[in-house]
Amino acid sequence: MGFSARDALSEFWTSRTSKMGVALIVILFGISAYVLVSYPLNFGTQYWNKPQHWADYPKGVPPSWTQTFSSVRKPEHMILTTDVSEKRTRGIMTIDFNINFDLRADIFPQFTSFSLSDLTFYDTPPIIHLTLTKPDGSKIEDLLVESVPYPPSGQEPPYVKYVESPLRVYMPGSPAVRNAIAGYLRTEFGSTLTPLEIRNMGLEQFLFGSPDEEGEFTNIVEGTYNLEVQVEIFHEDDTVGSVKFVVGGQVYGFMGTDTLGRDLAVGLLFGFPVALFIGFITSTLTTIVGSVLGITSGYMGGRVDELIQRVCDVLNTLPQLPILIFLVFILGQNIWNIIVVLVFFGWSGLTILIRSMVLQAKQEQFIEASIASGASSRWIMARHIFPQVAPFIFTQMIFFTPGAILAEAALSFLGLGDPTLPTWGQILERGFQTGAIFLGYWWWIIPPGLLIVVTSLCFVFIAQGLEPVVNPRLRRMR
Amino acid sequence: MMVLKIRDLYLYYQTLRGEVKAVDGVSLDIEPGEALGLVGESGCGKTSMSLGITRLLPKNVETYKGSIELEGVELMTLTNEQYRNDVNWQKISMVFQGAMNSLNPVLKVGPQVAEPLVIHREMKEEQAKVEVLEIFDKVGLPPETYDRYAHELSGGMKQRVVVAMALILNPPFVILDEPTSALDVSIQAQTMNLLKRLKKERDIAMIFITHDIALSSDISDKMAVMYGGHIVEMGSAEQVILSPKHPYTEKLLASTPRLRSYSQPDFIPGAPPDLVNPPTGCNFHPRCHMVMDICRERDPPTCYPEEGQRVECWLYGDKNE
Repeated sequence: MGFSARDALSEFWTSRTSKMGVALIVILFGISAYVLVSYPLNFGTQYWNKPQHWADYPKGVPPSWTQTFSSVRKPEHMILTTDVSEKRTRGIMTIDFNINFDLRADIFPQFTSFSLSDLTFYDTPPIIHLTLTKPDGSKIEDLLVESVPYPPSGQEPPYVKYVESPLRVYMPGSPAVRNAIAGYLRTEFGSTLTPLEIRNMGLEQFLFGSPDEEGEFTNIVEGTYNLEVQVEIFHEDDTVGSVKFVVGGQVYGFMGTDTLGRDLAVGLLFGFPVALFIGFITSTLTTIVGSVLGITSGYMGGRVDELIQRVCDVLNTLPQLPILIFLVFILGQNIWNIIVVLVFFGWSGLTILIRSMVLQAKQEQFIEASIASGASSRWIMARHIFPQVAPFIFTQMIFFTPGAILAEAALSFLGLGDPTLPTWGQILERGFQTGAIFLGYWWWIIPPGLLIVVTSLCFVFIAQGLEPVVNPRLRRMR
Repeated sequence: MMVLKIRDLYLYYQTLRGEVKAVDGVSLDIEPGEALGLVGESGCGKTSMSLGITRLLPKNVETYKGSIELEGVELMTLTNEQYRNDVNWQKISMVFQGAMNSLNPVLKVGPQVAEPLVIHREMKEEQAKVEVLEIFDKVGLPPETYDRYAHELSGGMKQRVVVAMALILNPPFVILDEPTSALDVSIQAQTMNLLKRLKKERDIAMIFITHDIALSSDISDKMAVMYGGHIVEMGSAEQVILSPKHPYTEKLLASTPRLRSYSQPDFIPGAPPDLVNPPTGCNFHPRCHMVMDICRERDPPTCYPEEGQRVECWLYGDKNE
């Protein structure tokens, strides 16, 4: 008969499901804590939903570990940054950067781009020269020559540029690069390809390939490449912060990218705390509202009871999802609106359950004794009724959590998620809208789906483990 | 001054079959330190009367009137709020039938006993604990009991806890509603001794409700016999037990088995009256062995055949009145 907290804990701990649930929830909380510490809170607006931020990332590529299962070596995506520069004066003044990188792959990189940030100059704007040296020694001189535009009149030196957004040149789109390659091909191989033809054929093969017998650039030159960045300056105090060269690969990171180039690993990680937040806040609020109203309804009886129960009936009869969609559409796609709507439609079932338990509990003689001792209804509800139903309320709270997570995912999947907070449901929705399923972008669809399922499962495990603690009939004999 | 003075208390319930006259014009007086034993068959209105005094009225009460004066204060005119704040447990406390049901199984025993102190005296739990341990000592409970749950205690201990709870605010008046019915005989004796001791030490007036006349005689100074919502006989314990006047009391006493006598226990024919349609005249007339014509027609008068003994019966009344 005696059942202390320690007994409850050991009963809970004996079942394998609860151990699994606890292990999973520890992992979930660990990841969420890491994300909360390391991510900015405005991640959604500042980074995730800002295409500029993802410009240097490959579009729609699978995770890099998929290479292990592939016989074709795809190029790894490389973002090469350096701020180590050297100032030289050889007739003209230059600031030089050197970037070395290894390329080993069977397929050409997707694209290349160059960026420069934090430029300060005092006189004539600097001119940027790029020279690429292949591992076989051949050089593409002045692959890119880019002059910084003059500052608008009225500004005084020093002119500071490219602090917020860098100077970025997307190489396949740059006529200067095409011309440089055409010149390189003419002098090196005697080829007569025009710049336009080069663009249409894709200029990566000329940057990273060498011609075969038929003169087609199908061989990839493997080895260490060198990119020399010379910034020609006209005042000795001019400075350049850093330069970046991106070799667009065909695999990226741990989770791949979507068609906007967003790193899915980052988005999925951010989904952890958001999912737990929605789950916990919604389930807590739902159980608080549900149990307060349930206890009041059951204990007070009469008109109050009637009113609460009829409201419950109405809420239970209304079809939830259409109303959810409707209300979120009207109230606006905000995480708090979603939570409020979920709570508003979630409490009624619990209230009916709790009421029926309270109806039984209030018949006990110790309640009558308490009334005789002059206790107020509030006191009796809080001190005598609530402890009777508290274990049940607690398990219900855990049971509600996955429901809330799934409901939010459903809303997000229908395009009604909070656009400022990336969630798993929203990642799924973007994937679905973009046709990821038909394009075979499985890394965009399966991980968020699995995460939603696993997170919900974790709470179901725990609730199942708690079930025998709360309901003694399910307790196993030992 | 009387501790409790009840005059013409009526308590009728509304049921689907009609009005149930559970308490039908009851009057009684209790002096300080006096114990009134209230005996009667099941369903004769004993418990209804105690509920009427403590205002623990069920929802279906139809009529609730009369006068209840506690230490000179009329209770019937108080609002529920006033009653709850000023009278409940401070002036009238109650020990319910079945101690195990009077304790919340999920709370520790000590804080439950302390509850009235927290509610009425606005004490902190630590202060209240001191008083609770004091009263535990009085009723013979070890201090460890404070942190026990109800299911960890024996029946006798639970009964002591419930008694302690009733006495915690030191009320002048306690209603004991069959406090020993669910206990075995040895624990019954223990509890009775405890109650007798407390009554003597603390000078508490009480109503002791039971259907066991022998048990009642053990503690009562005065006894009242209830039948069909009426108090049919009331007097000192000696008067009622040694020279019962009402035929019902006689029969009730005769139905008690004796240890040292060869007489068979007698029984009362028939069944207790239906309180929805009570018999005309005297409630008891269908079962009475001394029934007269007038009993069937007119309500019996209140007679005083001896000093301090009150009977409602035509045997002692003036039939020509």
